[in-house]
Amino acid sequence: MVKRFFEWVIGPMGRIAVVIVGMFVFSLAAFGVYQTQQNPKPQPIQFPHNLHVGLGIQCLYCHPGASKGPSAGLPTISKCWGCHQQIAKTQTSPKLKPLLDAMTNGTNFVWVPVAKVPEFVHFNHRPHIAAGLNCENCHGDMTKVTIAENPQVMNMGWCLNCHRQRAGDDEAKLTKLTDCGTCHY
Amino acid sequence: MSKQISRRDFLKLATAGAATTAVLTGCGPTSRFVDREPYLKMPEYTYNGMSTYYATTCRECAAACGLVVRTMQGRAIKVEGNANHPVNLGKTCARGQATLQGLYNPDRVENPVKQARGAQLSQETLDWNAAIQIVSDALQNTDPSEIAFLMGMAPDHLFDLVSDLANAIGAPAPVRFGALGMFEARATLSKAAENLFGKVSMPFFDLENADVVVSFGANFLETWLSPVAFTRGFAKMRRGNPERRGYFVQFEPRMSQTASKADEWIPLRPGTESLVALALGRLIAEARGGAVPAAFASIDPLTVASDAGLKLETLERLAQTLVNAHHPLVIPGGAALGQGNGLAAAESVLALNALLGNFGLPGGVFVSPLAPAQDAYHRPASAKEMADFIAKMKSGGVKVLFIHGVNPVFEMPKQFGFAEALASVPQVISFATFPDETALAADYILPDHHGLESWGYQRAVVSAKPVLSGAQPVVTPYFNTRATADVFLAAAALAGGKFAAALPFADEVAFIQSKLAGLVGEEGFFAAPEINSFTAYFQQYGGWWTNDPSLATPSAASAIAKRFTPAAAEFTGEGEFFFLPFVSPTLGEAGANKPWLQELADPTTTVMWNTWVEMNPETAHELGIENDDVVQIVSEAGGVEAPVYLYPAIRPDVIAMPFGQGHTAYGRFAAGRGVNPADVLGVHFNEAGDLAFAGMKVEVKKTGKKKILSRLESRIGVYGEGLEKE
Amino acid sequence: MTVDLNKLHAVGAIAEAAEGKWGMVIDMDLCTGCQACVAACAMENNIPYVEEEDAGYGRSMHWIRTERFWEGEYPEVKISGYQPMLCQQCGKAPCEPVCPAFATVHSQAEQLNLQVYNRCVGTRYCANNCPYQVRSFNWRDYQDSRVRPEITILANQFNPDVTVRRRGVMEKCTFCIQRIHKAQDKAKSEGREVEDGEFTTACAQACPANAITFGRIDHPESLVSQLARSPRAEHHLEELGTLPRVTYLKEG
Repeated sequence: MVKRFFEWVIGPMGRIAVVIVGMFVFSLAAFGVYQTQQNPKPQPIQFPHNLHVGLGIQCLYCHPGASKGPSAGLPTISKCWGCHQQIAKTQTSPKLKPLLDAMTNGTNFVWVPVAKVPEFVHFNHRPHIAAGLNCENCHGDMTKVTIAENPQVMNMGWCLNCHRQRAGDDEAKLTKLTDCGTCHY
Repeated sequence: MSKQISRRDFLKLATAGAATTAVLTGCGPTSRFVDREPYLKMPEYTYNGMSTYYATTCRECAAACGLVVRTMQGRAIKVEGNANHPVNLGKTCARGQATLQGLYNPDRVENPVKQARGAQLSQETLDWNAAIQIVSDALQNTDPSEIAFLMGMAPDHLFDLVSDLANAIGAPAPVRFGALGMFEARATLSKAAENLFGKVSMPFFDLENADVVVSFGANFLETWLSPVAFTRGFAKMRRGNPERRGYFVQFEPRMSQTASKADEWIPLRPGTESLVALALGRLIAEARGGAVPAAFASIDPLTVASDAGLKLETLERLAQTLVNAHHPLVIPGGAALGQGNGLAAAESVLALNALLGNFGLPGGVFVSPLAPAQDAYHRPASAKEMADFIAKMKSGGVKVLFIHGVNPVFEMPKQFGFAEALASVPQVISFATFPDETALAADYILPDHHGLESWGYQRAVVSAKPVLSGAQPVVTPYFNTRATADVFLAAAALAGGKFAAALPFADEVAFIQSKLAGLVGEEGFFAAPEINSFTAYFQQYGGWWTNDPSLATPSAASAIAKRFTPAAAEFTGEGEFFFLPFVSPTLGEAGANKPWLQELADPTTTVMWNTWVEMNPETAHELGIENDDVVQIVSEAGGVEAPVYLYPAIRPDVIAMPFGQGHTAYGRFAAGRGVNPADVLGVHFNEAGDLAFAGMKVEVKKTGKKKILSRLESRIGVYGEGLEKE
Repeated sequence: MTVDLNKLHAVGAIAEAAEGKWGMVIDMDLCTGCQACVAACAMENNIPYVEEEDAGYGRSMHWIRTERFWEGEYPEVKISGYQPMLCQQCGKAPCEPVCPAFATVHSQAEQLNLQVYNRCVGTRYCANNCPYQVRSFNWRDYQDSRVRPEITILANQFNPDVTVRRRGVMEKCTFCIQRIHKAQDKAKSEGREVEDGEFTTACAQACPANAITFGRIDHPESLVSQLARSPRAEHHLEELGTLPRVTYLKEG
């Protein structure tokens, strides 16, 4: 039975079938890859990171959670307003209209986080900052971008590369930094 | 090309297939990008990704355990115990843990509605202003004597507020009721204390310092009074002293979860508890030598032993154990008090304690202190008082009924006719958080917040220290609900006149502060010089309690001198079996709407998600009944059908059923699941007016149907059942 | 109780793991079977409920359950101690070598058995090979609001520190590894070691009878180590050489 099937497969009809099945599988795979490689949705405000960093504002001013806990956090709108209420342009600029609306009408808006790991990964900012990493090590140079973009694919190989480098010859550290349970639980 | 496919090619194909599968499964439907809405304004004390903890009080039962709730970004994530709180010292029970599934329950009443006594939750929502107008009109336009308030066992601050309101406008005092109180026979216990100690109070049993504990049906590890406090006490009794291990004996016709932890479980004939207690007393007095006190003089241990279905030697041995004990303690409760002679049982057990000389000693019996800011002990209504209340409703004596925190249509036996009485009340306003049976039978449902969204306080019933446990919202209300206290305050203000004068408070918090004012400057867990800082500490620490216990010692003389006329309890009904309903240890009275409480296995039977009938395997064998056979339990009041669980630890003449299921409403997890054993119970009381829930005999009829119970245990578990059929 | 590792042919990493790092002691004399640990665990670890029918098939997902065994015949019948059963975090775990996807692996850092959800393909070999029957399998998408609409609101309670598992994934007790990480992170940020009793697992935290104690089993002075040296101590199915990290204290 199995032998007859294989004979059919290497016959002409079989080859066509294999090609069709192959194309089908390939298209599914391509769709899957496409699904994971989509661009992020547009942000509500075209936030110019370069401008803000250029003005000398520290990353931790707007993302203070990074030094305290797992999530760096997106700033509350009242935090934006703390500075922007003193800037005349805020009242007139069309780009800043969502901010003005939020403060006057209470219509909140939503950010689209760009640096995001899947839900089965538990990333914690605090130990990374404590280990002496700077924000730009992972998130890129914010003086050069307007809307934040991920400078690299944040996959496990990338995490582990760095973890291995940092651990160096320290066996205990390497064990800890390459342990599955450090991130997956 | 060869006609043979090589092994190598096959592997190549297989690998390609596997890789494709891996790619495909790697892209699940989880969206790659998410929206994240930041706070417009960050609430105080919160940080992104960090938890904030708030102290509050559990409202799953009335025991007043202190909780610390972990919240994150405005959501309540986890319930933990308040480590400083004298009632639970950082511990919780399963029901307390699952309170979050009540908060985030898909079947809550989301808006105030004009229910109009429909079968389903009404979709006709109201504006809160209109709702307050309705309450206000009801208060103003009704003769005060025809207004009635029916309140649950928690929370106490609302009960106080409603009591003040009723008092000021000349309405009858609010009636307080709960199924737990009914099955605990609280009224009986406090009546016994009143009769013997001359004071209306709850007796306090110092379990943790006792070394030999004998319990008559008190299921204190399950739902009785304050299960977490008693479980802590039990653990200390068992292992707290490195010198000796506490010894625990339980008299009960069925092995309850509590009895299963006993070193000796003694299945006595139901209704003979008071006789056995008195016989023990006589044997103890005789073993010690000297005169037998009046209370125990007229009892004959040999007759009692045969009446109760016990061996005399068992009682003699137990008497000797109690005589030798340093700190003996005997506890009455539960099924023992729910008999026709329940009060006699409670009194004889208290007299037995008096004989053992443990009043006022460590490991003995005390009088519970009053809670802070409490004038006198108010016990909940007994079943008899509820029957009187129902009679008043039926006779048209109640024109407006306000119901909060209790579900009598489900909790009271059908025979009491609460549902019919409710139908004869012209206006019923419910403040239920969930669409339970009673709420659906109301004209309006003006939903209260969930306990974790509420302000309030609750008094501890079982505590050596006076405790006033504080509640505060740990999250903002999820639905369009409003605190019932605020509704009454607003309605009273709208009505003006004597109503506004009775409740001159801006809001619920102002009312609570007025009650706390007396504690300012008092020495306790914290002390504060003025009310605002007192309230702040009260919220921060989850309540206020004294540093030292203030237990009173009752007088033993009157207890020991009381003359009993010992008699076994009388049973109603013609059936062959004693009927013993008990509160489900996992569900309690109101846990059926929380999926994880349903999913918990009953400790002794491991049954989940349903009701069962416990029957001794011998009895079942004689009747030709097997596991999962559906039987009908028939009494004068009616019948219910449920599958049988062959329970190896129950007297052959007793049938037991858990209370907690059998809802016809109360959300998707509760409705239409299991049966309610209260439907079998008739209107019978003990001497103290409590329901004689264990004082009936029932018939068991086979139905020929089968319903497989979901159990956690292996089905080839109990006594090799199932093995022989293979 | 010591195990002769030579008899088990234990070498290398396994011999190192003989001591373990985190351990638990459960006093069966105190356990009242009240299910507080089960509920606390479910709330902490986002464990799904499976409802009546699936529960009847034995698919319920409890990471910890209280087992009880009847002894004797009426009226001399008794329950021989409630026995909370959870993953024993074996030093030599039978579940680990059988996983073809390396989804259940031993954590060298924390000396725990890990279940890596994103690697798990649902062969269920590990559950079949677990002598303690403590692994549970997601037979359906129990936590998906498209399958169960009520999850939309119940999900508000989910603990963000723990992954919400999908269909086809095996899961089990983790000794509340999220709490371990949290405590270690906090201690490290303050430049110190984690103290004994500083944190505990959800089950031990809830237990009203204080029957469960959790801590560093490799620190001889910790409470859990002291309790584990009790003459009442025993390990379940120790004869299989699994090196369980959970010690039970017998009644009596």
